[in-house]
Order: sequence, then C-alpha cells, then structure tokens
Amino acid sequence: MDREGDILGAFSELPEAINELVSEFSSAPIFGNLEAGLTQYSFWLLISTAVLALIVLVFVKKQTLVPKGLFVNGVEYLVEYVQNDVAKGVVGSDWRKHFPFLATIFFFILINNFIGLIPGMKPGTGAIGCTAALALVTFIYFLYFGCKKHGVVGYLKSLAPAGVSFPMNVFVWIIEVFSLLLRPITLAIRLFANMFAGHIVMGSFAIMASLFAQPLLEHFSAMNALGALPSVAWLAILLIIYVVEFIVAFVQAYVFTVLAAVYIQIAEADGH
Amino acid sequence: MGVIGYGLGVIGAGLAIGLAAFGATSAMARQPEIQGRAFTVFILASAFTEALGLIGFVVTLIS
Repeated sequence: MDREGDILGAFSELPEAINELVSEFSSAPIFGNLEAGLTQYSFWLLISTAVLALIVLVFVKKQTLVPKGLFVNGVEYLVEYVQNDVAKGVVGSDWRKHFPFLATIFFFILINNFIGLIPGMKPGTGAIGCTAALALVTFIYFLYFGCKKHGVVGYLKSLAPAGVSFPMNVFVWIIEVFSLLLRPITLAIRLFANMFAGHIVMGSFAIMASLFAQPLLEHFSAMNALGALPSVAWLAILLIIYVVEFIVAFVQAYVFTVLAAVYIQIAEADGH
Repeated sequence: MGVIGYGLGVIGAGLAIGLAAFGATSAMARQPEIQGRAFTVFILASAFTEALGLIGFVVTLIS
C-alpha cells in the first residue's frame, strides 16, 4: 500500500479513531457484568484506594516529633494545606469538627486523579458513578449538619434570608431550594467532566501524533518525513496538556473540597 | 456541527475565566495582602465557569 505524503488520509481517519477513543473511555466491565462486577474505573479506584491507604499507614508509622525526609514533610504539607486553607479559612471556628471529612475527600480525589495521569491507567474519578457518590455524600453531610444545628424546620426556614418581607420571601426560598438541589449535580459533573474531558483531549492529541507519523514508520522517504512533521507539534501540545492536567488534577481536588467546605459553612451559618 | 456549536459555546466560558483572572490580578495588585483569599475566590469562580464549558464538551461528545 502506497501512503506517501498522505496527510489528508491521516485527517480522514481521525473521526473514526476519536470515536474509538471515546468508546474506550466509557465504563466497560473487565470482570463480571455491569450490574455486579468491576469496570476499568472501579478497578483503578480500588488500586488508588490501596495506594492511599499504604501512603497514610507508612506516613503514620514514620511520623516523628520533628518531621524529616521528603515523604513525611510532603504529606504533612498537604494535610496542613487542607487544614489552614480549606478548613480554617472557609469553615471558620468550627473547623475541627469537619476537618476529617474534608481531608478524606481531598486525599481520595487527589490520589485518584494522579493515578489516572499515569499512562495506561484510568482515574477512578473519571466515571460519573464515583463522582456522583462523592457529591451525594457531601450533600447528605452538609444537610445533616445544617439540620443538626438549626433543627429540620429551622434549617428549611434558614434557606430564605431573614431580612426579606413576605411575598419575596417565598420566591427567594424557592430559588434557594433549587440551588441547594443543584449543588450535588454540579459537584458531580464538574469533577467527572474535568477528568473525562482532560483524558479525551490528551488521547486525541496522542492519536493525531501517531496518525501523522504512521506513513513514516511504514515506509521511510523524504515525503513521508515531511508529512510526519506535524506530529512533532502534536507531541509538543500533548506534553503541555499533560502538564496542565497535573495542575487540573490538583485544582479539581482542591475545588471539590473548598466547595464542600463552603456548603457546610453556609448550612451552619447563623441568620442566612 | 456539534463541534462548531461547542466552539461557539466555549467563547463564553473563555471570556468568563479571562474576566475572573483580570479581576483577581488587579485585586492582588491593588492590595497584595489579600493574595491568598483572592486566589481562592479566583479558583472557585473559574471552577464554576469551567464546569459550564466542560458540560458543553461532554454534551458534544455524547450527541
């Protein structure tokens, strides 16, 4: 087959390859079936949970009064970051009660996102089921603490601001209830879409790089070498996106935790 | 067609993140001591807008 200088050919194969990529990213069982079994996402979820448990156990064992070494200091830095920046900064004076929950969510999402960044592995948070579960847990958590603080009726009443007179009161209350119910949905979709979209984008650039370089690998000639030049650019973009994904992996864990903290703070606030 | 629609839709999200960054940087320049707080708010605001852009991306892929 002669594919010399076949740049247009590479472009025509692109949609098919990308469809294949997207279907590869939807949940498929590797074990059992979809009702009872493991999908590729839950498999990596279990692995990253095990890695997290291992990290925390080793950290607890190595902990001394004066932290030494990169590992202990690094984990301690992250814990203190959640404690000072999220728990103390957002939740306020009640931070001690909510810190375990916030730190658990932060580290769980962080380790899942980072495990997913290693080529060939999938992020546990890249499936909507996982992020929906996390968002639901957060939703129930802040509802519970809101009801505990104000009482169920008091919490429902506190959704509408205190200083608004009667007819507007009801409208504001309805809007606030809607925004309350939208919170778990946006939490779930934000994390899922970020991980999913990021990996699809990286995969697309990897596919483009390989499609343009394919003629050169099959048959070496000057024309094919020229045709393979764009794949150098695709590779460069891929590397840049990979670095951006590292930042996104951290920022999304941070955003999820900060939003959970904000919601808890709103639920517990007096006179909202 | 869906890809073109996504391109149009992402203009809004791009403008929004740009505006958020503009606001955060000018706030930090005027009052460097609120840097930490402004950064948190900036990250939150861009997460909200970014979610809209990403919903568009997922809808494009699904449709």
